[in-house]
Amino acid sequence: MVKKKIISIIVFPGSNCDRDLEVAINKSVSVKADLVWHQTSHIKKTDLIFLPGGFSYGDYLRAGIIASKSPAIKEVIRHAKKGVPIIGICNGFQILTECNLLEGALLKNSSELFKCEKINLKVVNTNKFLGSFVKDEIISFPIAHSQGNYYVNKDDLKKIEDNEQIIFKYSSSDGSLDKKFNPNGSIKNIAGITNKHKSILGLMPHPERAIEGSKKNDGLKFFKSIYRML
Amino acid sequence: MIFRVFVNFKPGILDPEAEAIKKTLKNMGYKSVQQIVKGKFFDIEVKDGKDYLKDIEKISKDLLSNPVIENFKIIKSK
Repeated sequence: MVKKKIISIIVFPGSNCDRDLEVAINKSVSVKADLVWHQTSHIKKTDLIFLPGGFSYGDYLRAGIIASKSPAIKEVIRHAKKGVPIIGICNGFQILTECNLLEGALLKNSSELFKCEKINLKVVNTNKFLGSFVKDEIISFPIAHSQGNYYVNKDDLKKIEDNEQIIFKYSSSDGSLDKKFNPNGSIKNIAGITNKHKSILGLMPHPERAIEGSKKNDGLKFFKSIYRML
Repeated sequence: MIFRVFVNFKPGILDPEAEAIKKTLKNMGYKSVQQIVKGKFFDIEVKDGKDYLKDIEKISKDLLSNPVIENFKIIKSK
């Protein structure tokens, strides 16, 4: 029997998608993830780390900044340097940009509104995280955020474009990248990116909320695809 | 000794809150308002006796501001 991989979910005060993630992972790949408290100063062996969505530390100062200085994040950075894949969803994405593991920053939505809806995403690049997806495939995940407006300066935008680090863009159901399908003002409709080495992924939409209740549960495919890469 | 650190968005970064304040001022009748820049400040009190400016600069860069989108300015206030 193939030995199951160890999946860790870091839990911060104010995280609210940690349990959803745990359920989604269990349903998708039959693994019981470890919930790791943010004060943990040593994370032993792990094959994959998730930073969940929510409002860590009440979004005080800037969304994700306080969490980015927590003891558990020091361990996340240590594992990331060893090549352990890290995935940040929503607030997790904000934390990854605040600790400089991913380029750019997430600003308040240009509409001044909290956006909570199911949106379409175009998979603009595939990599080892998304081996089960094909380029230009359209998938659907819900979003729920008030600070998802991805910003990066011109030079870094060119770098992440040239290096194929942009993974998901907000689109229509037939793949149009028109601005009207952009829910938050994000530059170039960007919804998810990786780091240079493609080992760290951050995305604003919630795959853990797309695992049941529709014909096409793209969240299941997302988690299965990630697990296959480990 | 107190250092006051001002943090605000770099020019060109969209601040929907500042835009909402501007719209409200127009609604209140202040038609000549052109632009609003919103920011925040932190007063950091440290023990006297050592020049903490370097530490305050590091604190401002590493925690109080996000250099990707924000600028900061430090004023020694006491």
